[in-house]
Amino acid sequence: MSTDLLEAPAPSPSGKDPAVAERRTMIQSSARHTLKRRRSVALAIRILFGTCTVLTLIPLIALIAYVTKRGIDAMSVAFFTHTPTPEGVSGGGISNAIVGSLIINGMALVIAMPFGLLVSLFLIERRGPIANAIRFGADLLSGLPSILIGLFAYSIVVVHTHFSAYSAAVALAVLMLPIIIRGDEEAMRTVPAELWEAGLALGARQSRVVRSVIVRGAIPGLVTANLLALARAVGETAPLLFTTIGSQIFSLSINQPMNALPIVIYQDGTTAFPQLQLDAWGSAFVLMLGVLVLSIVGRMFAARMTRKSR
Amino acid sequence: MDVKEDSPRQLLEQRRSSRSRLRGYPLLLWAAATFFVVVLAAIIEGIVSQSGQAFHHFGLSFLWSTSWNTVTNQYGAGAFILGTLVVTAIAMLIAVPVGRATASFLTEMCPRRIATPLGIGIDLIAAVPSIVIGLWGLYVLQPVFLRDVEPFMQKIPVIKFFFKGAAEGPSLFLAGFVLAIMIIPTMVALSRTALSGVGVLDREAAMALGATPWQVIRKVVVPGANSGILAAATLALGRALGETIAITFLIGNSTRIAHPFSLLNPGDTLGSIIVFNFGESEPGTLLRSSLLALAVILLVITLLVNIGGRLLVRKNRQFTLL
Repeated sequence: MSTDLLEAPAPSPSGKDPAVAERRTMIQSSARHTLKRRRSVALAIRILFGTCTVLTLIPLIALIAYVTKRGIDAMSVAFFTHTPTPEGVSGGGISNAIVGSLIINGMALVIAMPFGLLVSLFLIERRGPIANAIRFGADLLSGLPSILIGLFAYSIVVVHTHFSAYSAAVALAVLMLPIIIRGDEEAMRTVPAELWEAGLALGARQSRVVRSVIVRGAIPGLVTANLLALARAVGETAPLLFTTIGSQIFSLSINQPMNALPIVIYQDGTTAFPQLQLDAWGSAFVLMLGVLVLSIVGRMFAARMTRKSR
Repeated sequence: MDVKEDSPRQLLEQRRSSRSRLRGYPLLLWAAATFFVVVLAAIIEGIVSQSGQAFHHFGLSFLWSTSWNTVTNQYGAGAFILGTLVVTAIAMLIAVPVGRATASFLTEMCPRRIATPLGIGIDLIAAVPSIVIGLWGLYVLQPVFLRDVEPFMQKIPVIKFFFKGAAEGPSLFLAGFVLAIMIIPTMVALSRTALSGVGVLDREAAMALGATPWQVIRKVVVPGANSGILAAATLALGRALGETIAITFLIGNSTRIAHPFSLLNPGDTLGSIIVFNFGESEPGTLLRSSLLALAVILLVITLLVNIGGRLLVRKNRQFTLL
C-alpha cells in the first residue's frame, strides 16, 4: 500500500535533510555562477541574429525602393498607351507588352485552372500509389527550372509551328500546374471533416460530396492557389524567350509573337540607350506591383479560408 | 406496397442505376491524371530527345570537356557545370547561415508584433520576379561591387586567394551574391515553418529548466527542426541551381575557365549559356544538340536535388506528426 510512501522521510522541500540542502545550495550557486555567462552569450547571439535579419532586409527594401523610384520616373500616359519606338525617338511605351502579358498569362490560366483542379480532385478522391506518384511528380515539376519548361514548350510546340503567343501560354500553363494542383489539394483538405461526414451521412456519393461540399467550401483556397500560380508565372522570363520572343508591334493574334513585360526588361535593360533603359525600369515597376498585388490578394483569400475553418 | 417503394434498398437500387449516368466524372478525373503524367513524360522527352546527337558525338567526355567553340564545333559542359557549382556555392554559403539566423530571430527572439509583419514582408518579397532582381543587381550592385566590395574582399586574408586579378564588373561572385539575395526569402520562409513546428511544450520545458532563449534554440528548437531546415536548404539549392535570367545579367558570359581561377572572372552557368546561344543555333545542328545536352545535365542535377529535398520534407512531416 501507499502507507510506506507516506511515512517515508519526504525528499523534503523544506530542506530538513542536510544532504538535499547542500545539493540545492550547490546547484543554486553554480546556476548563479553561469547565469551571467549564459545571459551574455544569449545577448551576443541575439545581436548577431538581429544583424542577420537586418542584413536580409536591407537589400530587399533597397531593391523595392530603387525599382519604385526608377519606375515612377518612367510613368507617363504614353508609357501605357504607345508601342515601343526605336532608340532616340521619344514617346514610346509598352502597351503591347502589358496587353501581351495579360493575354499570354490569361490563356495559361484558362488551361491550367480546370486541368489543375481535376488533377487535385483526383488526388483528393483516390488514395494509393498512383495518387502518391502524381503528387510527387507535381512536387518535382514545381522544382524544375523554368528554362527547362521553356525548352519543353519550344520542342513540343514551336519546332512544329513557329514562335507564337500560344506556345508561351503552354509553357506558363505547365509552370502554373504544380502550384495549382498542390494548392487546390491543400485547400480542399482544410475543409472540416465534419462536412465530409455530414454529406456522406445524407447519403450522397463521395464524388457528389466532393463537388458540392468540398470544392464549394474550399473556394477561397482555390482562388489563392490560382492567384499565387499566376503571380509566379507573370514574372517568368526564360520560358518566354524560347516561345513568344517579343515583338515591337501591337499584336492581338495568339498565332504571332507577342511582347511581354519580362521580355521588355530583358531586352531593353541591357541596351545602352537611356530611354530604353527607362522603359525597362517602368516595366519592372509595373511587373513588381502586379506580382505583389496578386500575392497580397491571394494571401487575403487564404486568411479568409483559415478563419472560416476555425 | 407504397412503403416498400421508399425503402432504403429501393433508394440504393435507384442510386446504383443513376450511377451509370455519372460514369463520366471518374473517367474525367482519370483522364486528367493520365494527361498530367503524359505532360511530365513529354517534358523529359522534349528535352532529352534532341540531346542524343551531342552525347553520341562527344561521348561521356562531354561532361568534363571545357572547350566551347562554335567555329571548330567542339563543345563540352565542363566550364558550365563548374560555373553553376561555383555560383550556387557562393549563394548557399551566404543564404543558408543568414536565412537560418533570420528565421531563428523571427520565430524565437523577436516580439511577435514585429515578427509577423516582417515574416509576411519577406514572404511577399520571395514573389518578386527574378528578372527584376537581376536588373537591380546590374544597375545598383555591380557599380558598388566594382568600387568597394571586390577591392575589400581582396584585402581579407585567406578569402583574397579567391579574388585574384582585376575586377571588371560582371563576375561569378556578383552573380552568386545576387542569387543569395534571391533565395534568402525562400530559405527564411521554409525554415520558419520548420522552426515553428517544434512543440511549445518542449520550449517551455527547457525554459523552466532555466535555459536562456539562445539555449532553447540551440538545444531544443534546432535539433527538433534540423531535418526541416535541411529540407529548406535543399529546396533553396534546387531553386539556386535552376535560376537563369538574373544570372545572365550579371555573370558576363564567358565560356572559358580563365587562369588563374578567380571569383572576379566572368563565367557562365548551364542555364545562362543556353539563353545566350540558343537564338544562334539552328535546329538539327551539333550546337543546338549540345545546348540541349546541357539542359539534360541541368535536368538531372535539379531532379536529384529536388527528390532529396522532397524526401526530407516528407520525413520531416512524419517526424512532426509523431
